[in-house]
Amino acid sequence: MLFKLAWRNIWRNKRRSFIVFISVIVGVNAMLFMDGMSNGMLSQILFNEISLNVSHIQIHKNGFTDNKMVQNYIPDYENVEKIIITNKSIRYYSKRIVTFGLLSSAANSTGIYLNGIEPEKKQNVSRIKSSIIEGKYLSGNSGEIVIGKKLAEKLQVELGDKVVALANTSDGSIGSDVFRIVGIYKSPSSEFDKSYVYIPITNAQTMLNLQNKIHEFAIITNNYNSANIIRDKLRETLSGSYEVLSYEDLLPFVIIQLDMYKESLFVINLIISLALIFGIINSMLMSVFERIREIGVLMSIGMRNGKIFLMILIEAFTIGTAGTIIGVISGYLINIPFSTFGINLSVFAQSLESFAVGAILYPKLSVENFVMILLMIPLISILGALYPAYKAIKLEPVYAIRYI
Amino acid sequence: MNLLFKLAWRNIWRNKRRSYITLAAIIFATFATIAMRGIQLGTYGVNIKNAVEMFTGYLQIQRIGYQENPSLNLAFSLEDSLQNILETNDKIISFTPRVYAAGLISYKDNSYGSAIFGIDPSKEKKTSKIMDKLKNGYFFTSDTSLEIVIGEKLLNNLKVNIGETVVILAQAFDGSLGNLKFKITGTVKTGSPELDNMAVFMSIRTSQELLALYGNRIHSIAIKLNSLENMGEVQDSLKSNIKSKNLAVLNWEEVMPDLKQSIDLDNISGLLMLIILIIIVAFGILNTVLMSVTERFNEFGVTLSIGMPQIKLVLLVLIETVFIAIIGIIIGDILGYAINNYFYFNPIEFGSEFAYIYEEYGFLPVMQSSINPYIIVNNTILVLTISVIACLYPMYKVYRLEPLKGIRHT
Amino acid sequence: MEIIKTENLKKTYKDNGVPVNALRGINLIINKGEHVVIAGPSGSGKTTLLNLLGALDKPTEGRIFFKGEDFSLKTKKELSDFRLRNLGFVFQAYNLIPVLSATENIEFSLMLLGIPEKERRAKSLKLLEELEIADLAYKRPGEMSGGQQQRVAVARAIVNNPKLVLADEPTANLDSKTGALLLDLMDKMNVEKNITFIFSSHDQLVIERAKRLLLLKDGLINDQNN
Repeated sequence: MLFKLAWRNIWRNKRRSFIVFISVIVGVNAMLFMDGMSNGMLSQILFNEISLNVSHIQIHKNGFTDNKMVQNYIPDYENVEKIIITNKSIRYYSKRIVTFGLLSSAANSTGIYLNGIEPEKKQNVSRIKSSIIEGKYLSGNSGEIVIGKKLAEKLQVELGDKVVALANTSDGSIGSDVFRIVGIYKSPSSEFDKSYVYIPITNAQTMLNLQNKIHEFAIITNNYNSANIIRDKLRETLSGSYEVLSYEDLLPFVIIQLDMYKESLFVINLIISLALIFGIINSMLMSVFERIREIGVLMSIGMRNGKIFLMILIEAFTIGTAGTIIGVISGYLINIPFSTFGINLSVFAQSLESFAVGAILYPKLSVENFVMILLMIPLISILGALYPAYKAIKLEPVYAIRYI
Repeated sequence: MNLLFKLAWRNIWRNKRRSYITLAAIIFATFATIAMRGIQLGTYGVNIKNAVEMFTGYLQIQRIGYQENPSLNLAFSLEDSLQNILETNDKIISFTPRVYAAGLISYKDNSYGSAIFGIDPSKEKKTSKIMDKLKNGYFFTSDTSLEIVIGEKLLNNLKVNIGETVVILAQAFDGSLGNLKFKITGTVKTGSPELDNMAVFMSIRTSQELLALYGNRIHSIAIKLNSLENMGEVQDSLKSNIKSKNLAVLNWEEVMPDLKQSIDLDNISGLLMLIILIIIVAFGILNTVLMSVTERFNEFGVTLSIGMPQIKLVLLVLIETVFIAIIGIIIGDILGYAINNYFYFNPIEFGSEFAYIYEEYGFLPVMQSSINPYIIVNNTILVLTISVIACLYPMYKVYRLEPLKGIRHT
Repeated sequence: MEIIKTENLKKTYKDNGVPVNALRGINLIINKGEHVVIAGPSGSGKTTLLNLLGALDKPTEGRIFFKGEDFSLKTKKELSDFRLRNLGFVFQAYNLIPVLSATENIEFSLMLLGIPEKERRAKSLKLLEELEIADLAYKRPGEMSGGQQQRVAVARAIVNNPKLVLADEPTANLDSKTGALLLDLMDKMNVEKNITFIFSSHDQLVIERAKRLLLLKDGLINDQNN
């Protein structure tokens, strides 16, 4: 009965109810939009880092991350490989040599991360192959190198040019080799482009005097959410001479940023809610005072205060919830084309590239935000109606009826 | 017209409760936007000043094309004429020459990529703060010494100590690979990972030797100004005074485009938040004004009957809204000003957990507000404008009101 | 002297989509100083006729002349200005602006006409005396009874010496004693200042006092005095 009354009261002043309704929708869409952009950006950073470089899990000799010396290759790698192969949750893996070095062209030289990879395997694990914009990917032939576009610009080289790589070898001397550029890639991150170069693992092993040793296993699991679990399992199986790290261990700052974002999300939503609440309070107040006579009549015929109070709350709650639902639906619908085609932020492209986001941002909506909205907005509606509802029941019936 | 103002003012207080709530909404919108912008812009200012004074400088003079592609070959000589121009500009506090190259630094079995900076200690000291960031040891003093100061993280990574000798390898001007032994005499800790992980500072003469940059060739001149606000003016002045065709004068935005654009990006998201807030409050205002107008249709009808011009009635609604808006804005401005002032003199510093992230992106883990009056002015205009826009529809309703319809309104 | 002349005045309006012929051809002449009451059953169109005479509405057919001037030739703005300068209105309710005092309400049209304060004040105070409502001078409508409000409304209607005052059911919300007092007032103004009054009412009190009674039935006038 209360619901029926509340529902009809909403329709009494269509315009007013409608304006509140629309403002709730705007508020909800605003919350969804801010979330989509920020969350999208962070997720993209994470995804880019994972797919370009970090993968889900990495295995090294213990202590390698802190001390990336050439000599710290993985002991007994065949055993580790066996363990990896038998693990059902692991989808792809590849072997890598990783070291810091210098790359020189005729015009310039610069520090780089030298990656010796298994081309056929690595392509499953990393997106480098699909990022090639000129030339081709490593074919496995000796002497080939793939570098980033920004690096090519810095060194002033093109496809087919020769460059020299220099690095420390395992016995302390400096190893070098000449490579021919067969492919140039462009990743979303220009910092990445400037630093990461790829050569066949065999070349790397020869140049660094490592025979068939490797520094790293890079692993992609079936589901990145379970990366930590698989990491733990691997840790149990492998002894303490190895370190097994998931992407969360390897990208601590991105993870912290995602956490930090969740906290700031609450604050942003709170501010938007506050802005909404004024409108709700005023609207409900006006609605109550418009009906003062009627409320007086209801009281005289015996309707209890509690019920009247509740009725007003229900009115506000209904508008708020309806607005939330429509707002969420419209927000999600609007998000579909944006998240499919992305928003081109090329005005700010330069900055974004170096932040590993890339010029096109794909908004992504988080579950936390969705839940927060569903809880917060209806709650705000009720809070906004508290004062007006209180005013409604404070009326003396006689006075209310006489009110013109 | 006086009459309108009198009517408008009295009409506002007819429904005190409603007016107070509307006022509260406007105060909130004004104050929140001023505070948010204050913190945003203030923090940018802090970071810019820090970055600029740390090492980059407010302005830099380089060869044209060097910024896009810092090739060793794009070097120039510091001619007397140029020196003169810089010395005679009263807004330039000091300037210092720099040489830069990428190189490999090795100690025993370890090598790391490094950024080699050749600096002139006496001039550098006056222009940037890099020498203040000395953590341990000392800076080389003589022109030709083979002493270097490196970033603290680099020292750790190399697993070397102050006092030890390292080898530096770099590609020289003539294409050959120069290498020299250097003694580490000190470390710097700047908080900027780029410098701490990779920087190697040596005397500018030594670097010119190492890199075969004969004829006192350098890569850039870093300039310190007396204020960030003079940047544009000095840049223009230098551009017109410097005769050399292949030199460019760059400001920090051009030298650190990443910083500029990441500030721009954050700026946009801040502005967006502002607009969203204001729009929501605008809906509230619309509703309130609309209600107060329709409630008075009877009275308006009579007023129009006795001959009040329609326009005046429309204006009345506008004036009522503007009155409330102005009161709310003034209070909001005062509150906003107070908060900004407080956080200008008492900046917020972050705990270590968040500090880490900020440093990764090159920002200081500090939030400080700005007392720039433009923040208050701009937000005042914004809230005022949106209030006026919000009452356009109610004004339209009054404009179209016919006297009889008004009188008969229920 | 002729104040109002209508020629074949017709007014049709739509009531929920159904056309209603409120007035079917009114031919009327009213002279200065007359005291006219338009009477008729509810819904007979008297308010409609009054509104037309007061330039608040436009006829569907026919014309209205005020001292020779044709209403149909005027724009809305001109009509509004015309009303300000030449007419006075007393409605059934909502006559006064709630946030203004009695004096300010009375002076309202004078302010719109740009008459300086001293002169305004003098006129309104004089009227307040004449109509014996001087004690209400600085009170607001909310502080007055219905009868008092209507008296202030009359003062407002005549303060700028209009040629014609139109009163639509002025006594409808008043008890008979107060109503009688109000009518006394208006009669007095009609006689003393020679202001033409046209009432529309179905109140017996008003009809009794009519010096000229126009019965409106089925959209046509039956002039009881002819």
